[in-house]
Parts: sequence; structure tokens; C-alpha cells
Amino acid sequence: MHPAKLHPLLRSARDPLAVVHFSADDWNRCLRTARTERVLARLGYRIADADALDRCPAAARDQLIAARAYPGFLQGRIAHEVSQVRRALPAADGDLILLKGAAYHCAGLPLTRGRQLRDLDILVPRARIGACERDLLAGGWESQPLNDYDQRYYRDWMHEIPPLRHRHRDVEVDLHHRLLPLTSRLRPDPDLLWESSLPVAGMPGVRVLSPADMLLHTATHLFHDGAIRGGLNDLWDIDELVRHFGGRPEFWGKLPGRAARLDLGRPLYYGLLFSHALLGTPIPAAVLTDVGRRFAPARPVKALMHTLVTRALPPQEGWSAFAGLANWLLYVRSHWLRMPPHLLLPHLIRKSLRRLDSLDQHSGRLRG
Amino acid sequence: MTLSELRQAQGWRGCAGDDLYYRCGPFIVQLRSRLADTLDLLEQFYGPCWASRSPAVAHFQVEVNSAPGLRRWWRSQTVFALDGLHPFEPFPRAQAFALLEWGLNWSIATRAHQYLMLHAGALERKGQALLLPAMPGAGKSTLSAALAYRGWRLLGDEFGLIRPADGAIVPLPRAIPLKNRSIPVIREFLPDAFLGPVFPKTRKGDVAHLRPPLPSLERQTEPAHPRWITFPRFVPGLRRPQLKRLEKSLGFTRLAQNAFNYRLLGEDGFTTLVRLVRECACFSLDYGDLDTAIARIAEITADAPR
Repeated sequence: MHPAKLHPLLRSARDPLAVVHFSADDWNRCLRTARTERVLARLGYRIADADALDRCPAAARDQLIAARAYPGFLQGRIAHEVSQVRRALPAADGDLILLKGAAYHCAGLPLTRGRQLRDLDILVPRARIGACERDLLAGGWESQPLNDYDQRYYRDWMHEIPPLRHRHRDVEVDLHHRLLPLTSRLRPDPDLLWESSLPVAGMPGVRVLSPADMLLHTATHLFHDGAIRGGLNDLWDIDELVRHFGGRPEFWGKLPGRAARLDLGRPLYYGLLFSHALLGTPIPAAVLTDVGRRFAPARPVKALMHTLVTRALPPQEGWSAFAGLANWLLYVRSHWLRMPPHLLLPHLIRKSLRRLDSLDQHSGRLRG
Repeated sequence: MTLSELRQAQGWRGCAGDDLYYRCGPFIVQLRSRLADTLDLLEQFYGPCWASRSPAVAHFQVEVNSAPGLRRWWRSQTVFALDGLHPFEPFPRAQAFALLEWGLNWSIATRAHQYLMLHAGALERKGQALLLPAMPGAGKSTLSAALAYRGWRLLGDEFGLIRPADGAIVPLPRAIPLKNRSIPVIREFLPDAFLGPVFPKTRKGDVAHLRPPLPSLERQTEPAHPRWITFPRFVPGLRRPQLKRLEKSLGFTRLAQNAFNYRLLGEDGFTTLVRLVRECACFSLDYGDLDTAIARIAEITADAPR
């Protein structure tokens, strides 16, 4: 893709100095999309780091700066929730591993700046997840009442238990025991994650994944655990993790082998390929070649994924039948990856029946 | 070019549906609307404000148009969009201008965190500003409107925007929405001021907008320095206004609760508010009638230099 044809948001993310030459139309498209993709504040920090904030029009600068307030507020809330969770769990419950946003924030990584953090994702060993849940419930956290099917869905198939929320606070706490659903096609071994996890300075009993595992988890989350669409924020995480850790010489040497051990080679391939293609992430050419050789899918799949993802991930403005089709195909793919067909089909039927049912109730309410 | 000049030069009909850019205090608004009556009202209220048809970087990208489908003809409705999303249920078509004003207020309150946003009227005289923070229904808009036509420049009737860098109040003079009983009160008090159509039975009852004095709009990019904070409260039937000096600590607490985004701004919010309260004298004012309230305010603000 030629850079000049890219959406102005991608152009500014790739090269923050490009904004100096933005037209008013470029700016309006860029700001509006950055907001809907939840990366406006992140873009602002990137532009500020390039010393270009003062060269932006006042109306753009206002928004880039105003956007910092909300992420800062959310991060403070999550940090508080982490300390509350840690206090509620006796040491016998063992250590916690913070995942995703909470990990970036508590580990003090620069990519936390401007990042919107709504939920607290935590990894605990599967053997102790029941004890942790009981201790949190005793400490004031609550679980939404779920029907038997949903309970079974979480307990038998998923990688997390039903979300918890403290009765006085508005933060969702998700307790995981692995990175992907139990039914998922890829099966990264949680024990390996624990072995190489690192303690967080100043927070006893709290750990984060190793740099390589952090990157692998983010890529897995985006490409193997969701519908990809609307995932620019996750792609931005991949980009910033690479920019932060990629300077360490040992990082690239170990990454492909680690991905293979964790059974996460394919997500690594997609993560590096698409962050490089869309956000211009600096990745050594030899690494891209090596990862492609080891982990790329067969050529037709590769071509199809490239077509779909480069439609679904960049900001979508207005309506296009093709983008709609790409979104739908990726949605189907995300379910395909999460469950084997004999579980998937009944699950989807149940989901769509329930949607009809709730539509029915909703229209009943409107009529009433 | 001003909004009035733009309308005279081009009219609306030739460019219906094109984007209109106009200045609203420190903000540039991009408005997409095909509703000629709403654009007419916009011009009547904001005529002296800068406007353009060619693109400018906008703080808010909003749309006010007819609801699509059957609703275009049958019990027609109007919808507000910010960045292409619809945060509100549709309004009756006749209330489109009120919806635009309300929607823009909502957009500002949820986004303009480059300022500490107080829920306050704000007025200026000789470069020094008076803040009137209050909850809805306390008569803040009515009192601001009255003062704006009695020697004060209107900085805003809804938002006191405090700039953290220097503590200045940034003007945001808007059409002042008068509700229910305030409408006849202001009609009688300011018989010559321009009042827009009455929108009956909106969510907030009957609403009519008062145009701010033209100099307030012409000078909408000139900030002012806060000097007095007065918490007004309308008490029906109160003969003599009751003015009390407030401890600064109490003023601080009440402002922290009153601000739209105090908690969100964290430390910046705290330092900005501390500075504001340090630089101002704080009062509470219960009043039952506009003339005596204005006289009382004139007394406490008489010590302005020059």
C-alpha cells in the first residue's frame, strides 16, 4: 500500500511529523477516527514525542491534549483495583500475573500513556482459580447471575471465569487461567508463561509476562481471540511493544523459538506482518522472513487473510459492501478458531435464538 | 467572514448539506445540516461569529438533520450526531435548533478536558470576571442573562471554562436557554432583547433562547481573569437578597462538586481549582428578584481597579 493512500490516522501513526503537512480535511478525518478507535491520546503522545505538537493547528492540539484526561483517570482506577484485589487475596492464593493494559501500566511501560483501560485482566493458575474467586466474592466482588448454559460455557470451555465487579466500584475484573479458551485450536501452555514471568517492582505478589510473552499474548488476543475489526488499538500495542523491546539484542533472537514453544507462531506472524504493513513498525527484515517461513499459512490462506485484514483493521469510514464482507468472514473465522465445529454450531444457534428472543422482548416493551 | 456575511453572500439553499464551519467561543464547530430553518436561527443567534464553507480543523463534527425513513413525513423527527454517532433519541422536528444547542453542550461537557469545566455562568467587566456556579434550576442562566444586559460582558451562561495554564476564563457565549417561568421574567426585564421561538414541551419544559449582546459574541476570543465567585440561588418571594461571604475552603468544596470534570482531571484539576479559589472572593447569594440581585452584585464587585 502506498503511504499517500493510507488513512491520515495511519499516516500520522507511522510518521508523526507527517501531520505538519496535513490539510484541514486530513485532520478532521484523523481526529474523528482516532477517537472512535480509542487512540486519540496515544496519537497525541506520539506527536508530542516527535516534538510536533506545537506545529499542529490549535484545534487539533486542543483535542490531542484533552484526550489525555480520560485514560489517565481510568489508569488510576485500575491501579487502585489491582491493589484492592491483591489485598483481598491471601498470600496462599499465590501470585497474580497482570495481563494487557494493567500489566503495561503497573510495569511502567511507555505504551501505557494514553491507553484506555476499562477491565482488569488477571492470570492465576487453574488449580487456584476457584479459591481466588471465593476470596474475591467474600471481599465484596460480585458476579452477574448467569443461566446454566452460560455457567457451563465459562467453566468448561472458556479461559476465564464469569466477570467479577466490586459492588462499590465500576471496574470489571476478569480472572483467567490461560490465554485462550480451553476449546481453542491453539494451546499455549500456561506453565511456560508462569516460568518466565517477572515480578513487578513495588507490588509484592504481582507479576507480568516476559516481554516476548507480552507481545505474543497481544498478537494472540487480536488475531486469534476476536473479530479483528476495531482492533487498531491492539495493533498499536504490538507496534509500541516492538518499538520498546525491539532495541534489546536478545529480544528478536528468542522470539520465534518462544512462539513455537507456546504454539503461538501463527499469531506472531500476523501480528508482525500487519503492524509492519499498517503502522510501519520497525522489524528487522531477517525476522520478518524467518517468522514468515516458519509460521505463515498456506499461500491461498495468506492471500485471503491479507485481503481481509487490510480491509478490516484500518479505520472504516462510511459503508462498503466489501468491508462488510471482510468483517463478517473474520467474525466467522474468530469463532472457528475458538471452538471445534461440534461445539461451535450448537453454540451459535443458541446465541442467535437468544438474540431473537431478546429482540422480541424489546419490541414487546416498545409496544407495551 | 461572519455567519451573517456568509448567509448574505451565499444563502443556505445552494449549499444545503455541505459542511458549515463556525466559531463558538474557543471551539470550531463543523455542522452538517440540511435544515434551513435551523441554519436561519443559528445566524440570528450567532451572526457576528466567524464562519466558513471551506474546511477548517474542527473541535466538534456534528450533524442535525431530519430522521430518515417514514419519519421524514409522518410526525417528523430530527437527530443529532457527533462524529457520526447518535448519542440521543430523536427530537420532534420543530425542536432541531434546541437539539443542536443541547447536543453541542453535551459534546463540550464530555470532551473539552483541556479546560476545567465549571457548571457556571460567567461575566466580565474591565477584564475581571464573575463566576456564578450553580446546579440547574438555581437561576444561573436567568441571572447571567440579566447581568449581560446590565453592563457585563457575557462569557457564558452554562460553562465556566478555566484554562489550567494561566487560570483565565475562556469565553463561550452561547444562546441562553431560558426555561418555563424564566421566559416571561426575561421578556419583561429585557423587552428589547432578541428572544427566539418558544419550543414547547421539551425535556426541560418550555424553552426559549435569548441572544447574548452582540459585543459578547464579537469579543468571544478575549479571555478574562476570575475575581469573584458567587453561588446564586433563586428563592421565590425573597424581598431582599441575602449575600454571605464564604470561606475559601467551602468555596473550593462546592466548586469541586459543581465542576463537570474535576475528578477526571486529577492533579491538574486540583491545582487549577486551588488557584482559582485563591484568586477570588467567594460569596453565596439568595435572591428573589433580578434588580436587587444586580445591585448587590454591583456592590461586591465595585472594587475593580481602573
